Amino acid sequence: MDTSQYLDIFLDESKEHLQNLSDQIMELEQNPENMDTINEIFRAAHSLKGMAGTMGYKRMQTLTHDMENVFSEVRNGTFKVQPGMIDILFKSLDALEEYVNNIQQTTEEGTNDNQDLIDALNSILKNNGEVVAGGGAPAADSGAAASSAPAEAPASNDGNVKGEKWQEIKINDTERMLIDKAHSEGLKVYGLTVYVEEACVLKAARAFLVFKALEKLGEIIVSAPTAQDIEDEKFELTFSLIFISGNTADEIKEAVKSVSEIEEAFCAEYTAAAPAKPAEPEKPAETKPAEEAKPAVTAPAPKAAAPAATPAPAPAAKPAAAAASASSTKPAAKPVVNRTVRVDIEKLDNLMNLVSELIIAKNSLISATAAAEDNKGDNGSVNEQIEYLESVTTNLHESVMKVRMVPIESVVAKFPRMIRDLSKKLGKKMELYMSGEDTELDRTVVDEIGDPLMHMLRNSADHGLEPNDVRVANGKPEVGSIFLDAYQDGNNVVIEVRDDGGGINVDAVRNKAIERGTVTPEQAEAMTEKEIIDLLFLPSFSTAKKVSDVSGRGVGLDVVKSKIESLSGEVEVKNRFGEGSSWIIRLPLTLAIIQALMVVIGDEKYAIALGSIQTIEDVLPEDIKLVQAKEVIHIRGTVIPIIRMDKVLEIPSRGDEDNKNKNLTVIIVKKGDKQAGLVVDELIGQQEVVIKSMGKYIKVPKMISGATILGNGEVALILDTNALI
Amino acid sequence: MDEVKVMDDQKRDFSLNRPVKRETTQFIVTQLGGEQYGIDIKYISNIIRMSKITRVPKVPNYIKGVINVRGVVIPTISLRLKMGLPEDEVTKKTRIIILTLEQHESIGVLVDEVKEVVTLDEEHIERMGYEKDEKERFLSGVGKADGKLISLLDITSVLAEVVDV
Repeated sequence: MDTSQYLDIFLDESKEHLQNLSDQIMELEQNPENMDTINEIFRAAHSLKGMAGTMGYKRMQTLTHDMENVFSEVRNGTFKVQPGMIDILFKSLDALEEYVNNIQQTTEEGTNDNQDLIDALNSILKNNGEVVAGGGAPAADSGAAASSAPAEAPASNDGNVKGEKWQEIKINDTERMLIDKAHSEGLKVYGLTVYVEEACVLKAARAFLVFKALEKLGEIIVSAPTAQDIEDEKFELTFSLIFISGNTADEIKEAVKSVSEIEEAFCAEYTAAAPAKPAEPEKPAETKPAEEAKPAVTAPAPKAAAPAATPAPAPAAKPAAAAASASSTKPAAKPVVNRTVRVDIEKLDNLMNLVSELIIAKNSLISATAAAEDNKGDNGSVNEQIEYLESVTTNLHESVMKVRMVPIESVVAKFPRMIRDLSKKLGKKMELYMSGEDTELDRTVVDEIGDPLMHMLRNSADHGLEPNDVRVANGKPEVGSIFLDAYQDGNNVVIEVRDDGGGINVDAVRNKAIERGTVTPEQAEAMTEKEIIDLLFLPSFSTAKKVSDVSGRGVGLDVVKSKIESLSGEVEVKNRFGEGSSWIIRLPLTLAIIQALMVVIGDEKYAIALGSIQTIEDVLPEDIKLVQAKEVIHIRGTVIPIIRMDKVLEIPSRGDEDNKNKNLTVIIVKKGDKQAGLVVDELIGQQEVVIKSMGKYIKVPKMISGATILGNGEVALILDTNALI
Repeated sequence: MDEVKVMDDQKRDFSLNRPVKRETTQFIVTQLGGEQYGIDIKYISNIIRMSKITRVPKVPNYIKGVINVRGVVIPTISLRLKMGLPEDEVTKKTRIIILTLEQHESIGVLVDEVKEVVTLDEEHIERMGYEKDEKERFLSGVGKADGKLISLLDITSVLAEVVDV
């Protein structure tokens, strides 16, 4: 079976399951008794195991299987969740993640068996949830455990590699009654496992024929997967059932195998060996004779592939992996999977509708122009159609933009786990509170934002929050809080990382800066708190007293800042010494199209991003005052410096003298909490502009962030007001 | 639009079907001041009439600004100013030649006039020595066609200097 075409899906879904597992285990740590969580974990682990098995990733499957066993026991109430167990589970998750990463890089899972983790997991099972240091699984013990298990497990792997999966079917009370009734009536109860050929296209149809054949011979009590799932083809190459019949096992087998494309059928009498606890006794049997019994019983997919004639990647992968380990490490190849965006079908539908509307609009426009030619002068209907076209294109643009948007959840979801680990590592108690995980950003931005955010969270955890005893001494709750809030604000998305720790000690930063020679003592005295904090963003500036592996190397914040700026975003710091600090990242929703105000300066047109504009003021020439030889205006109590755009842009003056006495049009723009007034000659209006690159052949000044093409085909430059302030 | 589009086929002809013995190159001959300059046709993707050039502030004077060519913003330079000749005078004959080098990056150059296409054998091209004076910096050689002398522009070196700015 060629599984390569499913690799993308496998990777996507594995990552989802891993994330889900991680979330749920975190949850479990908080509420060890929560049955819903345990069930959810069990389901996720189970799906992951199945997927890994199907794809032929043996090691991954083995590890997941053992994890699943532990969850299964917890679910059955055999033992309770304990802190040591959570640690081992998290380590297993890390190992699984490594497998997935390896697969993404090379399509192979790597050669690490993670035997220590498997042993640790098994020892949890063996010791009924107790985490024993060392965690070895001596053979004698497992033998004893196996013998205590029902006899059916060893029977399942006597020689045939395709286990009789029907033994895994769990029987509920009604079904048990039916079985008992059948026995009392002298009928026999059989367990049956059917393997469909790998090449089979219509598995569900084959299964249906099998069911049909069986119904002639007796009565099907239960099947795994359920009859509905089988009908919907929600099964792999095998399904199992429990079946009441008066016929012999061989007759049943014959009946099943008479259906074409059925590769194998196993049928044996259902021994009512596990009447008391149907599910539980099987588990130790599967796991204890660890290496031999387990793959046979629980790993039907890859095992099934082995004897099949078709060259399957499953067995092929193993020698390849072995070869890789033998002949040094594999060269690092580029990831085998393309970057994709998973798109909500609704968004695509919407897009499709808009495109069809666009076609309609185009057609109406054609007929409208034809009509206009007939009776010249009447342009009414053409204008109407143009307006229609306009609204369609606007919607189309929005929809396309939305397709590129993904929730930041994919990035922030890993943070709770990270904070938990940090909390242990740093020996501080802390909690992470997140909100707005569903806030959407452009895929490219989401991909890039993870590292900076992670860095800021680590900063908060390491530098921001005080040690617990200090917190208590300062009258704060012992457990520190870190907040990660994301929300949309106009055309921006704001992500805020906040902590209730000690805040930035501005004096310490000041002293450090002087000590390092970054600024002179005189300069330092004159600097405002904000300017001092900005020093933190300089390369190789760290105030951490000691370098830990969490942070303090001084390579962080400057990288954070440059990364955010490369995404056209900005970072702002709000600090309350003693109460905590908050780091605010502001990112544009999209990088390609912006809402802009078109202005005229001299006889040139420029675009200014609407997002940075606060107000537009009409200013009398005499209201402009000089402060330190700089022109400023007073607006509603604040003094704002003004910038003569014609001077900055070296635009030849219009030369009309009456300009001198005319009111000035001043656009007030902001950057963080700084403001400036830009003097322009005329306003044209608001317009959606497409940002175009200006090519690499000219080095444009910083105040020009790009160019755009106007309706008449002319090029207008886009002003970057941040560079002007 | 009156555009002289250089056919892709022509470019391919040049490389695939050239005669075995004789290396020939096609040049578009342009007028700049009193002289004729040849630009290797393989760099030229389009020749357009003078259109509105949007000035870009704070760039060297020979960068005239940016233009819109079918939805792409392309910087445009003045070859005259670049080569130390007097400022361009825009006439009806003024053209912008769009050059595309590797990586699909384009640049427009202003010329007084586009004359013709000439095909030159290698033997009719006199390669420049290493000693070049100020004006000859951007020349790769001189070609002879119908008794005229055509200075052949070394486009890569013209553009290399633009990038460096």
